Amino acid sequence: MASLVPCPHCGARPKEEFTIRGAALARPRADAEPAAWMDYVYLRDNPRGRYEEHWHHTAGCRRWLVVTRDTATHEIAASRDASLDTVGVKRTEGARS
Amino acid sequence: MSDLRITRPLTPQPALRGCTRLVSRAIRLEALPEGHVIQVLGTPHAPLAMERLAPLSDGAPQAVRAAGPGQWFIVGDRAKTHAELGDILAALQPEAFGVDQSAGRVRIRASGPMVERMLAKGTAVDLALTRFPVGEATTTLVGHIAAHVTRIGDEAFEIMVLRGFAQSLWDDLARMSAEFLED
Amino acid sequence: MTPYRLAAGGLIDRRAHLSFTFDGKPLTGYAGDSLASALLANGRLLVGRSFKYHRPRGILTAGAAEPNALMTIGRDGRTEANTRATMQELYDGLEARSQSRWPSLAFDIGALNGLLSPFLGAGFYYKTFMWPAPLWEKLYEPFIRKAAGLGTAAHVADPDAYEKCWAHCDLLVIGAGPAGLAAALTAGRAGARVILVDEHAAAGGTLLSETARIGGLPAPAFVAQTMAELEALENVTILLRTTAVGWYDGQVFGAVERVQKHVRVPAAARPVERLWRIVAQKALLATGAEERPLVFGGNDIPGVMMAGAMRTYLNRYGVAPGRQVAIFTSNDSGYALAADLEAQGIVPEIIVDSRADASPSYAGKARIVTGAVVSDAQGGKALSAITVLRNGQTETVKVDALAMAGGFSPIIHLACHRGGKPQWSDAQSAFLAPGDLVGLDLAGAVATTAGIAACLAEGARTATALLEQMSFNATPATFGTVEGDIVSAPNPVPARPLWTVPGVRGKAFVDFQNDVHRGDLDLAVQEGYGHVELAKRYTTNGMATDQGKLSNVNAIGLLAEARGISPADVGTTTFRPFYTPVSFGALAGPHHGHDFQPVRRSPLHDWARRLGATFVETGLWYRSSFFPRVGETSWRESVDREVLNVRAHAGLCDVSMLGKIEICGHDAAEFLNRVYSNAFLKLPVGKARYGLMLREDGMIYDDGTTSRLSENHYVMTTTTAYAAGVMNHLEYCAQVLWPDLDVRLASSTDQWAQMAIAGPKARLILQTIVNEDLSNDAFPFLAAREVSLFGRALHGRLFRISFSGELAYELAVPAGYGESVAEALMEAGAPHGIQPYGVEALGVLRIEKGHVTHNEINGTATAADLGFGKMVSTTKPDFIGKAMVGRPGLVDPERAQLVGVLPLDPTTSFRTGSHILAQGAAATLENDQGYVTSSAYSPHVGSTIGLALVTRGAERHGEAVMIWNGIRNEFTPGRLCDPVFVDPGNEKLHV
Repeated sequence: MASLVPCPHCGARPKEEFTIRGAALARPRADAEPAAWMDYVYLRDNPRGRYEEHWHHTAGCRRWLVVTRDTATHEIAASRDASLDTVGVKRTEGARS
Repeated sequence: MSDLRITRPLTPQPALRGCTRLVSRAIRLEALPEGHVIQVLGTPHAPLAMERLAPLSDGAPQAVRAAGPGQWFIVGDRAKTHAELGDILAALQPEAFGVDQSAGRVRIRASGPMVERMLAKGTAVDLALTRFPVGEATTTLVGHIAAHVTRIGDEAFEIMVLRGFAQSLWDDLARMSAEFLED
Repeated sequence: MTPYRLAAGGLIDRRAHLSFTFDGKPLTGYAGDSLASALLANGRLLVGRSFKYHRPRGILTAGAAEPNALMTIGRDGRTEANTRATMQELYDGLEARSQSRWPSLAFDIGALNGLLSPFLGAGFYYKTFMWPAPLWEKLYEPFIRKAAGLGTAAHVADPDAYEKCWAHCDLLVIGAGPAGLAAALTAGRAGARVILVDEHAAAGGTLLSETARIGGLPAPAFVAQTMAELEALENVTILLRTTAVGWYDGQVFGAVERVQKHVRVPAAARPVERLWRIVAQKALLATGAEERPLVFGGNDIPGVMMAGAMRTYLNRYGVAPGRQVAIFTSNDSGYALAADLEAQGIVPEIIVDSRADASPSYAGKARIVTGAVVSDAQGGKALSAITVLRNGQTETVKVDALAMAGGFSPIIHLACHRGGKPQWSDAQSAFLAPGDLVGLDLAGAVATTAGIAACLAEGARTATALLEQMSFNATPATFGTVEGDIVSAPNPVPARPLWTVPGVRGKAFVDFQNDVHRGDLDLAVQEGYGHVELAKRYTTNGMATDQGKLSNVNAIGLLAEARGISPADVGTTTFRPFYTPVSFGALAGPHHGHDFQPVRRSPLHDWARRLGATFVETGLWYRSSFFPRVGETSWRESVDREVLNVRAHAGLCDVSMLGKIEICGHDAAEFLNRVYSNAFLKLPVGKARYGLMLREDGMIYDDGTTSRLSENHYVMTTTTAYAAGVMNHLEYCAQVLWPDLDVRLASSTDQWAQMAIAGPKARLILQTIVNEDLSNDAFPFLAAREVSLFGRALHGRLFRISFSGELAYELAVPAGYGESVAEALMEAGAPHGIQPYGVEALGVLRIEKGHVTHNEINGTATAADLGFGKMVSTTKPDFIGKAMVGRPGLVDPERAQLVGVLPLDPTTSFRTGSHILAQGAAATLENDQGYVTSSAYSPHVGSTIGLALVTRGAERHGEAVMIWNGIRNEFTPGRLCDPVFVDPGNEKLHV
């Protein structure tokens, strides 16, 4: 009925404000081996426990986030702006909530 | 080129024409004039200073509102001319780009002692004055509709929504206010 | 008033008479009564029939766990089935009807099921009705549904309003009994934001049923005093008639407030129920404990009641349970009832205590028999006698009421909603809340604390600890001395569970609501279904509306004894939300009917409506579908006219709902070059280009045009359906994949009213309002520029693009001016024959021109399949989809390709979705060569035309095929052809 997701920019928000894309994977280089691309496009781990996913705060700040979610308990350990991973800005674990 | 050139006085049609103000001692709901709304696109990792944007506004309090990392809205009740808009967009360069959303966003003012209770029927954001002080702004779902909410007074908020959803949001807010409109 | 209503006492207003009906019979009660107390006061002991055996049933409890007294309340759209009479406040004019009876409560045919009961044991339905299967639908199910079942839903719409609401607090206190009140007061005084919820109309919990005094005040007066202080605190919100129903992720609690379920005609401006989602930093569960029944024969006969409930009816409602009362107890709590009964002049006939070593501090007159049990109760529609068994000797005692006190089960449901498992405690003979709770603590009887003083102290103490975790400076509230509480010290003699009552002859019910008796559980164990989860399904114990609130722990105890293990080893079934049933109305809130989903309105909506448009829902948008004229008798007639008029003269179509995305930044060109498969770096300022977006798997994602308005500013159009998805996708690319690129995105869909002006006269008409030169040289095909209108009164964006294949433009003006501009164009175009056209005609025009939409871009098509092979760059270093677009399966020459299709006989037709067979091939799946993706009647061609994805379609133009509709078994001889039916040379685009 309800659950809150911490957004590093907006605070805790209901899940309805978000769009979930799935596993937070790094995109292979354009010239990477076909196998790397097959992994990226089709293959997913299905772990029990912590899992990093890309969530989009669609009805909020419209930022893509990396959300660390426990697949068994739904507990969200951390969320961060996804661009920080690649742009080299200091990472801040955890989130305002 | 044709000689048949039409020039005529044009009247803009507000999205919320026909939505008359709803007023009681507890709540007040009114559509604001479709003045100007400029969406400022900066960059998330090198935010612009508010001092950079404030002079581009009409100077009213809360005329510049945060809208997520690196983005702002500059809003006001007076419609800008094409030339004025061009000047503002040019002034934002090169750090920021501006997009005219004066017609694309519609503003509704909700106020009164019960306004927090009313909005709590739509948004999960904690709007208590201590948590969401005057000047604070955020985008959130109000019911099923995403809207930008700014606190403009202790008991007053502005809610800005995509034009296409304006009528639906008005209907929602009116329904949410109904119990507070019985004076 | 009645033999059961006491002359004085109770928290009822004896001056306020309320009339109500039960099964049509007029009765009266008082303000402050529950429906249950009013029925009891009227001597209505028989209030329902049981689910399976249709046994007569009476009121068992005074609260949320009631399994028997389920009624249908109200009429028409306000009919509410399965209402617990114990939770329903009495109001003037209330109409209640009993359930599970046919034809009447007193005479019930289904009671024959009782005689058949040897055959209706656990697993009966599974065993008996397995075969023959057809009899299920025709015979068994209709019969079972008629005879059994709970209440029936109304078939008319509910006229009342429901709403949802969020709330935020530091401390949520669930339950306003002694522990909850003490906690709320402690937190309120400390200045924390507090929400106190209680499911009853009045706060106080068990204190309202108490005869003890607190600080010199009677317990109810103490409650009133405490509530007055809480109500005066601005930081405290009190929600009564509000049941906390679930604890969810992110520290959200669900609660249902019954705002107007206690009035006959609700005020229209307020909801009848409100679903709260409460975000609480910390929560305190002070939900108390549920008294357990004892499992002896005939324990379901009307007149048998929980001991605590009897106290409530006696003390709170001034209702005597009977005149000759017996008490069967396994612990000291039964003696509190004995004392209260005696205070009202009713000396219990007998107190049967299962403990041989019981030594209660009871000084009353009742006869006490220890080391004994009630093995059976006798009676039909009312209790007449009980059998007391002691040391193998039986004694019959004539009684009209019997209280059961089987010990207490803490109400830990919410504490278990997030996956924690209850823990069995031998010392407490109860399942306790999981030990590792974060954000939630317990106080009072739910934590097995006994006695008013201890509960008050624990509530205050626990709240203080929680507040300190949140950095509040809190002092535990203190209260005066408690006098007259029957439980003076915690558990003076340990409660000893009595699962298997010896000497039972009759049916001993465990689950009253589901008619599960002890024998059923024994059978489940015997047949190998002794696991707690299996036993639940096999016997139905713990199912339906009460979810085993009274029965689960007894069932676990009995299973444990039958299996020779401890209840700890049996364990519990999973506690899931909701704690008590929640109406669909509350869950839907306001989102039904007109408000089911928001509407997205085009700025040209009213313009189209004035011109008589028929609208069609496209996602949340309402698009004008076609514009019927007087005399036109079918939609086809209107659409054909609109299509022909565009091709002959000119048409105006609202395309405001196409997605529009502003793309700015110093790397915008590079960004577009990576999201599109075709080249974008060299698009000149002032020009539009058709772009193709792929998915990473190489299939087409979406298409549209992107125009370069200035050096670092582009505007992209997307299809209406994919507007939101494309925006999310671009943001993903910009933020996640390439955050090093300077690109900034904004949706401007709603900023613009956009009109397609198409047809040979389009330029003539547009030029009348546009200042700039629109001649082919000055504004050629794919020009895209800002223009001024009406002599600089207005500015807009003009794009020379065409979906119809005609000379065409799209003009965007600020949304508020949309209607004025559309009207001006219609006025200027009138001499040139302009007509509005809708999406139906738009669809026909694009099929005639062979333009694809998401019918063709359906996730299985590559660019090459649709004839866009050249739009997939081979030179760009990277773009979305580049890596996988060359996979062997995606370049297989046998792939389905876009092709046109026509019927051989123009008077015949076919439908979208039909399959293509080679001429002479049998209609089998193996012979399937593809399918029609789009089709329409083309007034230009004079027959139905289609676009299809067909194996090697591009090289088969001219081939005769069979068009096969397998669903309707239709065969239409047809011919494959060029998918462009109009102006294949694109001459019209460049005039």
